Amino acid sequence: MASSGAVPFWRAAGMTYITYSNICANLVRNCLKEPHKAEALSREKVHFSLSKWVDGKPEKPSMLLFSSSYPFTDSIIIPTFNSFSDY
Amino acid sequence: MAMAAALRREGRRLAQPINALQSHSSLISQDQAPHGARSISTQIVRNRMKSVKNIQKITKAMKMVAASKLRAVQTRAENSRGLWQPFTALLGDNPSADVKKNVVVTISSDKGLCGGINSTSVKISRILHKLNSGPDKETKYVLLGEKAKVQLVRDSKKDIELTLTELQKNPLNYTQVSVLADDILKNVEYDALRIVFNKFHSVVSFLPTVSTILSPEVIEKEAEAGGKLGELDSYEIEGGETKSEILQNLADFQFSCVMYNAVLENACSEQGARMSAMDSSSRNAGDMLDRLTLTYNRTRQASITTELIEIISGASALTG
Repeated sequence: MASSGAVPFWRAAGMTYITYSNICANLVRNCLKEPHKAEALSREKVHFSLSKWVDGKPEKPSMLLFSSSYPFTDSIIIPTFNSFSDY
Repeated sequence: MAMAAALRREGRRLAQPINALQSHSSLISQDQAPHGARSISTQIVRNRMKSVKNIQKITKAMKMVAASKLRAVQTRAENSRGLWQPFTALLGDNPSADVKKNVVVTISSDKGLCGGINSTSVKISRILHKLNSGPDKETKYVLLGEKAKVQLVRDSKKDIELTLTELQKNPLNYTQVSVLADDILKNVEYDALRIVFNKFHSVVSFLPTVSTILSPEVIEKEAEAGGKLGELDSYEIEGGETKSEILQNLADFQFSCVMYNAVLENACSEQGARMSAMDSSSRNAGDMLDRLTLTYNRTRQASITTELIEIISGASALTG
């Protein structure tokens, strides 16, 4: 469902497969009904502190804190899923 | 340990007057008592006993906490093993692939008091670095967890590429691990990723393991050598994708799955190691408490005996 040309659209946009599957998973989780939705979204919390090292010195750590929604979902063309009609 | 040595010295010093009394001389150690007092003070020993007892209580509590955390993570770690098993069935495990750019991903804990697991992980990472160093080849580190960072900063500062900390603030989930796997893939050039973690076999045994993930180009190269990778061509590819695209997706996903399993197993091993470390700490505290109790009783009895001797000799001197 995703690829028609040489490269799938998401790879051409610079995403990796991991990002693609995370967005899809987030969409599925948002389709659930309460209370399962709250449980599922609590499994999506991301928090870690990343710091790149240059020449043996760490740069200021960038805190990555996504609460429950993945940041890309608003700005990217969402593929249509025909099979998920039961939720 | 310094405390135990100090205690042993105290014990020896306190034992001398008892031995002296037993040999009927009247040497009394004046070390602990203030000037002018005639009996040996038991205050110091009592203080030590109180603090050792408190430490024992704390370590017992930490052991219980670690045991409950272990139970929670253990089932998830065992279930996550099914994520990477299909990959190994398809692509095989190639720890001996000879590549130019190696990246060693060391997984360690953020908190301490967990025994020797972080040191073993760092040791293995250093061994891998040495094994893979040569004229063209280079090895970089990506460190997860504070403890590995602290140890590797001492001598391999210039080889560290990324450090990630504060992973266990929320309970571990796949989304978090996949996001950090994605960050690693985006920021680091690699031909082979070697993930070093402690695999959880049982509560008392954690073995350091290395999982190797090859980049798609290296997989193509190794496929010519035959083996599991050589059989990839016999699979049919559906959809409009080419083999190299599929390999790319597979490599990304494999890294993410193996990382998830590795992080969970390491968390399990951390809790198990903490349990056994706190257990041996409580036991040592108990032994120390026994020794201190003996010393305390000896000191107390010696001072009582001294008092009695003085009283009796005084009385007998009066009656003449």
